[in-house]
This record gives sequence, structure tokens and C-alpha cells, in this order.
Amino acid sequence: MIKIVKRDQPSRAIFFLTPVLAIFLTLVAGGLIFYILGFKPFEALKFFFIVPIADKYGFSELLLKATPLCLIAIGLSFCFKSNNWNIGAEGQLTFGAIVSGGVALLFYDQEGFYILPIVILAGAIGGMLYASIPAILKTYFNTNEILVSLMLVYVSKLILDYLVVGPWSNPEGFNFPETRQFSESARLPLLFEGLRIHAGIFLALAAVVISWFIFYKTYLGFQMKVSGFSLKTAKYAGYKGKKMIILVFLISGACAGLAGVGEITGPIGQLHREISPDYGFTAIIVAFLGRLNPVGIIFASLVVAITYLGAETAQIFMQIPKYTGQVFQGMILFFLLASDYLLFFKIKFIGSKK
Amino acid sequence: MNTNLKISNVTKIYPGCIANDNISLEFESGKIYALLGENGAGKSTLVKILSGVIIPDEGEIFLNKNILKLNSPIDAKKNDIGMVFQHFNLFETLSVFENLIIDSEETPENLKEKIQLIMKKYNFSINLDVPVLNLSAGQKQKVEIIRCLIRNPKVLIMDEPTSVLTEQETSELFLSLKKFSEEKILIIYITHKLKEVMKLCDEVAVMRRGKLVSVSKIKDENIESLATKMVGQNLKTIKKKKSSISSSEQLIKVTDLNFTSEDPFETNLENINFSVNRGECLGIAGISGNGQSELFQILSGEIISDKNSIKFSNNFIGDLNPQERREYLMAFSPEDRLEQAAIPQMKIFENVALNNFKSSNFFNNGLINENRIKEHSKKIISDFNVNTDNIELKSQFLSGGNLQKLIIGRELITSPDLLICFNPTWGLDVGAINYIHETLIKINDQNKSIILISTDTDELLKLSDKISVIHKGKLSKIMSADEVTSEKLGILMGGGEID
Repeated sequence: MIKIVKRDQPSRAIFFLTPVLAIFLTLVAGGLIFYILGFKPFEALKFFFIVPIADKYGFSELLLKATPLCLIAIGLSFCFKSNNWNIGAEGQLTFGAIVSGGVALLFYDQEGFYILPIVILAGAIGGMLYASIPAILKTYFNTNEILVSLMLVYVSKLILDYLVVGPWSNPEGFNFPETRQFSESARLPLLFEGLRIHAGIFLALAAVVISWFIFYKTYLGFQMKVSGFSLKTAKYAGYKGKKMIILVFLISGACAGLAGVGEITGPIGQLHREISPDYGFTAIIVAFLGRLNPVGIIFASLVVAITYLGAETAQIFMQIPKYTGQVFQGMILFFLLASDYLLFFKIKFIGSKK
Repeated sequence: MNTNLKISNVTKIYPGCIANDNISLEFESGKIYALLGENGAGKSTLVKILSGVIIPDEGEIFLNKNILKLNSPIDAKKNDIGMVFQHFNLFETLSVFENLIIDSEETPENLKEKIQLIMKKYNFSINLDVPVLNLSAGQKQKVEIIRCLIRNPKVLIMDEPTSVLTEQETSELFLSLKKFSEEKILIIYITHKLKEVMKLCDEVAVMRRGKLVSVSKIKDENIESLATKMVGQNLKTIKKKKSSISSSEQLIKVTDLNFTSEDPFETNLENINFSVNRGECLGIAGISGNGQSELFQILSGEIISDKNSIKFSNNFIGDLNPQERREYLMAFSPEDRLEQAAIPQMKIFENVALNNFKSSNFFNNGLINENRIKEHSKKIISDFNVNTDNIELKSQFLSGGNLQKLIIGRELITSPDLLICFNPTWGLDVGAINYIHETLIKINDQNKSIILISTDTDELLKLSDKISVIHKGKLSKIMSADEVTSEKLGILMGGGEID
């Protein structure tokens, strides 16, 4: 007989095991879907999860995709830990890319070591500016940050659209919706000859270390934790609630903006319409799959990055639409939420008493 | 029709503790039964078994000789067992009516009619269209009671129902309960308040440490005998000795304090004036929902007021936040232990760090000084008798009494000049109440001051030097505790006048 028993306290081991379980269940369900579609499940999963990263190039692509996911998810965890629901990282990424791209375009025919730092900084500032809108509206006008941050995503994409077809479009570009190529000095350096992985990965790793330190070692991290559990307690303790809301949104926006910089100055090298395959939204899944824990987020970003690559390989080798990748991302989140049930309940197998 | 409820050899074992040890009890309708015991005696487990929330390891329950299988609260409802829990199960953002209709099978029109009838019959007045979060604790309780009554229960179990009620409300509740009993509803009344048992009940079962200690008729018992059975030792009564050397040095003075809330369901405060001298305890009595919570928040700095309205040891502090006020040696113990004063999911030492006082050096240059916090926590645990030696324990595993000791300890260990506390003994057992009361008296003796906002009149009469009553956001004149009686307080709490 199977019995479901409430746990006395959420188990810490289960807390970190459920993401693993969720990934396992996603594989099983994914295999089943492939089977129904008429593919051999194991072969399909191999194309999806193993073939893409089996060589050096594939591994570099994996890190390339994981970098923005990790960076954004780290930023988002500042918001989520303190009870602020910023789901507009995609917009902050886009706006950061617009600002840094704009700066990079100013220097399109110049060289100089000083250009890249300015471009990076501009991206962070752009992301922060864009994140400050929902933060200020929330603190001073009591608006709902979920709605505001989400809607601003579409605004930013339309601004980008306007810029790349209009004022910023490449004068020698035959009316393609894209800007000039940035100068080499505005590009993040590649790490290895022939591979696309670039120096942006160091930004992500730095964010991991800094966030770990802030979460667990600083007063700010403590205040975020308290506010995350109970805003009433935060008020009673005398924390400056409005300041903190704005601060976490700024941090989150800066991270997303940096991710945007990484995309346009890394692999792309110019602004065009499609600078991000929804990294800003997918990073929400990464943040939760990683349990809002910096180290967890590294692993989660690698896992979720595979779904991007796998979708492409599967499209090429098996003629499966690449949107399967989104199906997998959705399933991971679904199974994660479902297996969170085990945090609070345990399943007991007991022999019949009689 | 008469109802007979029988509990037969019920046992429930948790890891490391026997919550119910072979309990057998029998109840008949037409009588009101008290289930008496300290916190942790096992009475909550027993009533949760009766209401289907917990399934016992052994034993059976019979209703009118038929065996009851209670596997979930739904089974209890189906078998006409109604339960009003101590902690409310209401959706805060939904209206009263929406809360009531959620688990009802009736049409909205029928239900509304039924609710109106019940409210009329028992003199409840609650606006059905108001969101529950705007109700006072007392009103929320009434919503819970109405929710049970809608189902015409045969058995009604009340878990600590008066912990949020005032004396007037309590006597109204008692009248209602007696009326239910006359209507042949079997009432089981869980409490640790002895006076209530003596006043209301016909028979009493006492539990201690998971065991049934005695079952007897109320007329064969008195408060002392019951207290001894409950605690298992002879209680010493504490009485505050009036401070003979009452200092005349004013510590806090509140002048013309007004508060107008944007939320129409909060209470506005009107022209509040009082002062407290060093070594004094000012008690503020009142029915819950008359502005106590607003007053507490203004005194603690959660709500900022006019700078000049609060003067504390010669500084005007009305515009400071709680953390800044702590630096002036004020300390605060809010009403809600689990949702405000502490965070159950955090460890004990983390909860200690919530009172961040500059000289405690919990945080240096923005970094957490964990060793310092832990050291400090250990001191609180030993100085204030918190029954654990593990400061890494999550505070949700502390009993209400121990948690409150931790909170009071956290606030007092910085030796503040003024402690402001709001219902500090709400829902605690006799032992913990005594401890908290002794502590409060002790700090008065050390020439420290207290503002005690409480709905418990006995507590106020026992601890205060001066008492005032808050009614609809206005304070009555401040009376010396010697000239006050609970009758006088009752009149003022109800909005009446005394000479």
C-alpha cells in the first residue's frame, strides 16, 4: 500500500534532488513524445542531449548558450528571493542591448581598448534603466510588477525593431533590418580560435561568485531573505523596503543588460531583430531549477542550454521542428513544480497490516 | 435527538513523542465539555483526530454507536462534526460571503438567507461584503463559527476560541454556546483558561503530556484543583508589588497623535495623548480591532507619524523607522509571533538577528557576523529559559511559549528603556504566561518602562501601574491601576462612560 505522509519539515536533500528528478521525468516524457511521433525514443534523446555536445564545437556552443541564461538567472534570483516578481528580463536584455549597441555604433569606425568597457557599461546601465520602470511604479504607485515588467518586454522589442529598420539600419545594408557591424574593439574577445565561446562567460562566473557572497554573507542578502519570507517582518525589523525593491530590480536589470551585451558583442556583432531566443524568459526556469542558488543556477543553465542545442540538432537530423526545445523547457518547469510536492509530503510504502 | 460521541483507546505517536496515549472519552449532547491542558498536552492532536485532519495510529471513534472512519476533514463534515480552529482558515483577500460559499453546496441566495438568520439569532454583526483581511481577529473568528453553523452540526469543537476575544465578546460567545447546547449540539471546548471552564462547562477532561489525567464534573472542581491537575505542580501566584519609588522622570510622551488611514477598514486614531514614566507599566485595554494594531505600529515606527507627536527621552522620534528607534533604546514585541515577530522557516539565530541593534555588531560594514549572532543567541536561550540548546533549529519547531520567550528575550537582551508589547501571552500555556509576566515585572523593577497593549484584562490588571482603554481609536483617560476594576474596564471597552 502506498501512503502519502506530510513531512514535518521540508527535506534539504529533497530540495536539491527534485530538480534532478524533474530532469529525469522530462527525459522520460520526452522519450514518450518521440515514441508517439514515430521515432526511436533512445535515438531521439541521443540526438537531443548527447550528439550536440559530443565535440569541442558543441561544447563551446553549450557554454555560449548557458552564459546568458546563467547571468540573467543570477540577476532574477535577487528579485525572486526578496518577493519581487520581475519576469521582464527579456525586455531588460533587449534594452541593454539597444543602449550598448547604440554606443558601439558610435565607435563603429574606431579602434581602442577603451571602447569595450564603455559598451559593456552602457549595456548594464540600459538594463538597469529599463528595470527601474517596474520598480519605481511598484514602490511609488503600487502597480503590479509582474504585469509592468512583462508588458515592457514587448515595448523594448518594438523599439529595437524600429531602430534596426529605421534610424540605425546599415546605410550599406540593402535595407536588411540590421545595423552596421561593430568595430573589433567593441567585440568581446573569443576564447579559442574557431569556437564561438567568448569572454562573456567570465561576466557570468563573476556574477555567480558575487551573488553567492551577497546572498549568504551580507546584510543585504539577509534582508532579502527576510523580505522574501515576510514583508511584515521586514517592516517590523525596520528594513527600508522601497530601497531594497529598487536595488534588486537594478541588479537584475544590470545582469540582463549584460547578457544582452554578451549576445550582440559576442557571436552577433551587430544589432538585428532577433538578438535573443527568449533567454530572458527561459532564465526564469533556470533560476527556479537552480533553486535560486548560485551554484545550482550554473548546473541549471547548462541543462537548459542543451535543450536549445538539442532542438537544433533534432531539426537537422530528424526533421523535428526546433520548437521541441521549448516543449522540453516547459516540461522541465512543469515537472519541477510537480515534484516540489515531495518537499512537503513523502511517499511511504507500507505492507498491508493484516 | 441526542448525540453520543465516544473516543475509544486512541493513540497517536510522533517520532520522539506520544501525542495521545490510549485516550478514551465519552460525550453526550446537552452538556458542554471542556478539554483542558497546557500547550503540547495533546489536546490539539485529539481534536484534529476528531475532525479528520490526523488519522490515529490506534483506536476508534463512535458517533451514536456507529464507528466513524475519519480519513479527512471532509469525512468529519459529512458526519456533522464542525470545528473552529484556533488559527483561522480564511482566504484573506476574499469577502466574508465568498469565504462562506466556497465549501457550501447551497445556492448563494439560500446561503445568504441562512447566514442572515444565524447572525440575527446569535447577535453577530459582520458585513458580508468586506474582504476578510479587513476584519478584526474577533470578527474573523465569528466567520469561522458561522461557517460551522451553516451545516447544522451535531458536534461543535471549539479550539481556544476566546484567545482573541474580549470579555464582552467572550460572554456573548458563552451565551451562544449555551444556546447551541440547549439545541442539542454537543460542544467540546478546548482551552487552557481555567476561569472559562468554570464559567461555561459542565464536565472537564484534563490532559497532560499526552495522557488523560482526569474526567470530572465542574461542580466538583475549583480553579486551583484544575490548575494543579493541568500543570502537575502547585502554582505560585504572582502579584506585582506596586512600585513604591515610582519615578517621576518622563520617558515617553505622545502628544496629539492622529492617524488617518487610507484603508477604510483600518481604525483611525484620534488625538492620542499619554506619557509613561521610567519604571512604569502603562496598560492599554480594549476590544480587538479598536485601533490597537495601528497604535502599536505607530509606536514601533512601522507607520511613520508626525515627528513631534512622539517624544522619547527628550528626542522627537515620530518620523523614525523601527530600526532607528531601537537605537534610542526602544524594543517591540508585536502581536503576531508567526507572521511578524519571527520567521518560522528561519533558524533561531537568524531570527535573533532581526533585532539589529548597532552595538550588538551583528552586521559589520554590511557583512553578517555570524559568530557574534550565535553567541548572542546562546545567551538569550539560557537567560530567557528557551527550551532548546540548538540555535540552528528552525524556529517553527519551538512551541508558542518558547518562541515568545525567544522574542521577548531578543528584545530585552539589549536592555532597552521601553518595551512595547502587544498581546504578549496570546495563546500561551500557564507556565509560559507566568514566565512572561514575571519577566515583565522584573524589567519594571529595573526602572525600565513598558507599554502593554492587551485584550486580556486579567493580564492588564496584574501588570499595569496605569491603565487606559482604547475604543474606536480614542484613548480613555488614564487611570491608576488601583482604582480600576474589570467591570470599569468592561464599560469603557464597550464605549460607555464612567465618572
